[in-house]
Amino acid sequence: MSELPHRVRGVDHVAYPTFDPAGTVRFYRDVLGFPVVHSICAAGWGPERHPDFIHFFFDIGNGDRLAFFYYFGLEPFGGGPQGDAYSRFAEDVPVYFIRSRHLAIHVDSEEDLLEYRRRLDGSEWPVEMQIQHETIESIYTHDPNGYMIEITRALRPVTPQEDLDAALTIDALVDVVSGPDPSMAALLTRKAELIVERAAAWEEQHAARATAEQASVPEVARP
Amino acid sequence: MTTFYVLDVPENVSVATVAGQGPDVTVARVGPYFEISAPGAIVVDRRATGCRHAVWYSCVAGLRGARVTQQDKDALRVEPV
Amino acid sequence: MAVHRIGLVVPSSNVTVETEMPALLARHPDASFSFHSSRMRMTAVSPAQLRAMNAQRERCVLELGDAGPEAILYACLVALMAGGPGEHQRVEAAVAEQLATGGSEARVRSSAGALVEALRGLGARRVALVMPYTRPLAEQVVAYLEAEGLTVADWRALEVADNAEVGCIPGDRVMAAARELDLSAVDALVLSCCVQMPSLSLVEPAEQEFGIPVLSAATAGAYSLLRALGLPVDLPGAGSLLRADRVPVPA
Repeated sequence: MSELPHRVRGVDHVAYPTFDPAGTVRFYRDVLGFPVVHSICAAGWGPERHPDFIHFFFDIGNGDRLAFFYYFGLEPFGGGPQGDAYSRFAEDVPVYFIRSRHLAIHVDSEEDLLEYRRRLDGSEWPVEMQIQHETIESIYTHDPNGYMIEITRALRPVTPQEDLDAALTIDALVDVVSGPDPSMAALLTRKAELIVERAAAWEEQHAARATAEQASVPEVARP
Repeated sequence: MTTFYVLDVPENVSVATVAGQGPDVTVARVGPYFEISAPGAIVVDRRATGCRHAVWYSCVAGLRGARVTQQDKDALRVEPV
Repeated sequence: MAVHRIGLVVPSSNVTVETEMPALLARHPDASFSFHSSRMRMTAVSPAQLRAMNAQRERCVLELGDAGPEAILYACLVALMAGGPGEHQRVEAAVAEQLATGGSEARVRSSAGALVEALRGLGARRVALVMPYTRPLAEQVVAYLEAEGLTVADWRALEVADNAEVGCIPGDRVMAAARELDLSAVDALVLSCCVQMPSLSLVEPAEQEFGIPVLSAATAGAYSLLRALGLPVDLPGAGSLLRADRVPVPA
C-alpha cells in the first residue's frame, strides 16, 4: 500500500496526432459539442526539426482537455492495414489488443449517455457498441482518426470493498507475474491467500473508521 | 475442501446465494468476501443467478484448494485441485 | 564570445525600441547582442488597434522562433496594460508556451512586465510617470501599476494618439512634463512609460536633476533581458537601475 500523499488533480490533457483536422473538429466540436478551448501555432525550433504545426484542445468536461497535433504537409506513416492515425498494425494483430488503448469520457447519468448516443448516431460516426460492464455502461465509436472513444456512466457508486479487492488483485498480480508461470488460476490462488490474510482485518478497520466518521458528524454540525 | 471467494457487492450476491443452495456447500464471510466451500465440486447455474455477462465472468475473487473447470454461459464449476 | 540573440515583438510603427535597445545593450562590458524584430501592424494607439495588434502576436512569435532567439521581449507596454491587471503574466505565459511547444528554450519578457520588475528591483513603492498616451489609456496604465502594488503619486499624459508622432516627441517636451510632476516622496520616475516615446538620452541627466532613480520602458526592458539571460546588469549612462551589478571601484 502506498503511503505517499496523493496530490494530482486529474487529466490536464491527453494529446494525439491527426492527419484530418477538419474531420476532428467536426467530430469533437460540431457532433459531440466539445468546445475548442486553446490552440498553439508553433514550429520545430528544438534539436529535432519538424514541420509547422497546430496544437489544439477540446474541453472534455471537468476542465480536462483532449488535444491534437496537426503537422502541415506530414503524410501518414505506414505499418499495416489496421490501427489509427498514430499507430498502424500488421494484419495478424488481434482487434482486442488494438482496442485495449482507448479514451473513456465520463458522464453522470443514463440520460447524458443517451444524449451523446443520439449525437453520434446522427453523425458520420454512429455508436458501434453499447455495453453494460460490471458496474458501468458505455458507448463506443471511433473518431475520424481511428481512435476509439468510449463514453461511460457508473451504474452505481464504487463501494469501499471494491478498493480492497482491487488492491488484493494487483498485489496478487505483481506476485504472480514475478513467478515462473503467470496464469489466472495462479492469480486467483494467490489472491485467496491475500483474502485470508487481510480481508477480515480490513473490514474491522473499515467499520471502526465508519463509526468514527459518524461520531464526528455532530461535532461538525454543532453551531 | 474446495473454496472460492466472491466479493460482497450487489451484483455478486446472487452468485453466493445460488452457490449456497448446492449440496454440502457452506457460505461464510471473510471480511467483505463470501467464502464458499464444499468437500467436493461446487456448481453454480448462471441463469439462476441472473448475472449479466460482464458480472458473471469476473465474479470469482480467489481460489483455495480449487480450480475453475467451467465458467461459461451455463455454469461456473469449481473443483478440488 | 557568443552573441546573445534578442527577439523583439514591436508595433509596426515603432522605431524607438530598435534604436534604444541595441544602443543600451551595446554598452554591456562583456556580452554582445544581436536584435531580430517582428512587427504587428499598428499605427494609432487606440483600444481597437491594440486589440487587433495583439491578435498578430502568434505570427510574430513564429517568425522570431525561427531565428532561435535566447530571449524575446514583447515590446508594447500599453497593449498589455490595456488588457487589465496581470495581462503581462498571461501574455508572457502564452508566448512561452507557444515557444516551448515547438521546442524553443527562449525566455520571454514583456515591456509591461519589465517595468514592474525594474520598479521592484529598485525597491520603489511610490512612482511618477510621463506617458505619451491619450487620457483613457494613461488611466489604464496607472490602474495597472497600482494593481501591481505600486502607488502612482503623479503622472502626465501627452495625449498623442498617432504612434509615428509618438516616435518624434522631442526630449524637451518630455522633460517639461517631468518638471511639472510633484516628486515629493516619490521613489522613482518613469520618464517614458512607453517604448516608442524616445527618452534614452534623458534618463541620466534627469536622474541628476531630480535626485531620484529615473527609468524608462527601454531601460526597464534592458534590465529585464539581462536578468533573464543571467548577465550582470551593468550599463553606463542610463540611470542607476542599469548599474545594479556594477562592481564598485576601490577608492
